[in-house]
Amino acid sequence: MGMNLGFVGLGIMGRPMALNLMRGGHAMAVYARRPESMKPLADAGAVTCASPAEVAARADATFVMVSDTPDVEAVILGPGGCIEGARPGAVVVDMSTISPAATRRIAEALAVKDIEMLDAPVSGGEVGAVNATLSIMVGGKAEVFDRVESLFELMGKNIVHIGASGAGQVAKSCNQIVAAVTIEAVAEALLLAQANGVDAAKVREALLGGFAYSRVLELHGRRMLERDFKPGFKAALHQKDMRIVLQSAHELGVALPAAALAAQHINALVGSGEGDLDSSAIYRVLARMSREAGGD
Amino acid sequence: MTERVGFIGLGVMGRPMAQNLIRAGYRMHVCARRPESLEPLVAQGAVACASPAELAAGCDVVCTMVTAGADVEAVVMGKAGIMAGARPGLVVIDHSTIPPATARRVAQTLAARGVDFLDAPVSGGGQGAIDATLSIMVGGHEPVFARAEPLLRRMGKTVLRIGDSGAGQVAKAANQLAIVLALVGLAEAFTLARASGVDPARVLEALRGGAAASRVLEAMGPKMADRDFRPGVEARLHHKDVQIALDCAAAVGLAAPGAAVAAQTFNALMARGGARHDSSAVLTVVEAMRRPQASGSSA
Repeated sequence: MGMNLGFVGLGIMGRPMALNLMRGGHAMAVYARRPESMKPLADAGAVTCASPAEVAARADATFVMVSDTPDVEAVILGPGGCIEGARPGAVVVDMSTISPAATRRIAEALAVKDIEMLDAPVSGGEVGAVNATLSIMVGGKAEVFDRVESLFELMGKNIVHIGASGAGQVAKSCNQIVAAVTIEAVAEALLLAQANGVDAAKVREALLGGFAYSRVLELHGRRMLERDFKPGFKAALHQKDMRIVLQSAHELGVALPAAALAAQHINALVGSGEGDLDSSAIYRVLARMSREAGGD
Repeated sequence: MTERVGFIGLGVMGRPMAQNLIRAGYRMHVCARRPESLEPLVAQGAVACASPAELAAGCDVVCTMVTAGADVEAVVMGKAGIMAGARPGLVVIDHSTIPPATARRVAQTLAARGVDFLDAPVSGGGQGAIDATLSIMVGGHEPVFARAEPLLRRMGKTVLRIGDSGAGQVAKAANQLAIVLALVGLAEAFTLARASGVDPARVLEALRGGAAASRVLEAMGPKMADRDFRPGVEARLHHKDVQIALDCAAAVGLAAPGAAVAAQTFNALMARGGARHDSSAVLTVVEAMRRPQASGSSA
């Protein structure tokens, strides 16, 4: 039976995710800051709205996919935000990657109005969004998760309820640490091969068959060898995610030295005007340090 | 009786140290790989020797100031080395910065021949050597230290016996660890100022008066502000020394993550051709990570 769904934020990730939800036979209301972003959804039969509040007023479940913590706060709690339109018992599902602490605050503010919230950040990039193969990490009440699980299945493959509110964002932070530090490791390994005059492509090939295998070695390693840093996942977004990671580390008092170092290299990448490149371009920063080929 | 002192290794540090001993009245014997290094000392009355063995045969105390552990081993235990000419009762004082383990090994080898050994690395740079204001960190037996102390005081101001053999090198490793981290910190501080469109020279003035004031800031800060990387202390030496510090840390099972990052920064400086630049050139490694065309102020 079709549900009434809403989607706020229709960028590279949000648009294909919303389209996949509609393919499940659900009615869709959408909002995006830029009207042209709503067009493909309207063409597919979605109702376009003037505000997140208007979307939420029409929806049993409203999905949010925007950039950063202040954006999520604005579309959910700000003027014309979801909180103004959502009915008691409705669910707001934030699929953006934001601070776990901010997520818990937003969930509490919604709870005052009896509006449920799940944090459900994703991993898998644009390809995963289009192919509905995203990994989705969910935080919030189990019974609320049960209500929308079938909707997640329209967008993703590996869907895990991690724990209470904020737990999904914590899992996403963990994901970004592993991604950043592994990119760093793969970049260093390929640079070591190169500096030794050894064929780095052959080294990657050998490593793919062994204990050092990883998705990062496979995908990002190839990008490094081919010097092809088209995103993928933009360094500027990875920078934002690492800021969230290190902010948590600061608040909790837990040391994440490798993550901190990788974040510095991402900073340099963004500071070099390369924030729109895939974050595997960390390779460039490392190459520049030692004047190895591949720095630009 | 005036002691006969030998000095092996007459570079930026060794030459002024030997000259200070000549001025103090010691009868100096010298030996160096490059003959031209001997000239200024010979002009002041020192006796030039053809090999460390020959030098050791005519001396009561032999000081060495070479580069790495392997150099010390070659000069002491190698062909025509000190050991080949030494008589029992000779004191060998090594001022080079080498691994503590190497210093202990050399000490044991010499002890078997009745030769005493002190590890006595120094801190203070070329100027400290000229002014005889070096800090000298000594490892070895107390009576041997007591015998050598008057001589050491002709070259340094702070002369401390840290402990037994190798302890001087441990102190030096700790010294270098603190310095290279301070250098990388300074490089990041100046790069932050420049990238933010702020005059590094003004920042340097401010830092001098505050809690960030330090000897490293005084010596290296102006070089970083002016981007003048003439040595000073050649970066290749800190590159060697930070590795010694990391080896020491690994040997006792200690995590030294700051030193590890600093070591990588110096590795990059070597790759960039900065081996004989001043260590303050680590600034260029920090800068290189961010593309130059993006420099200037940014958000």
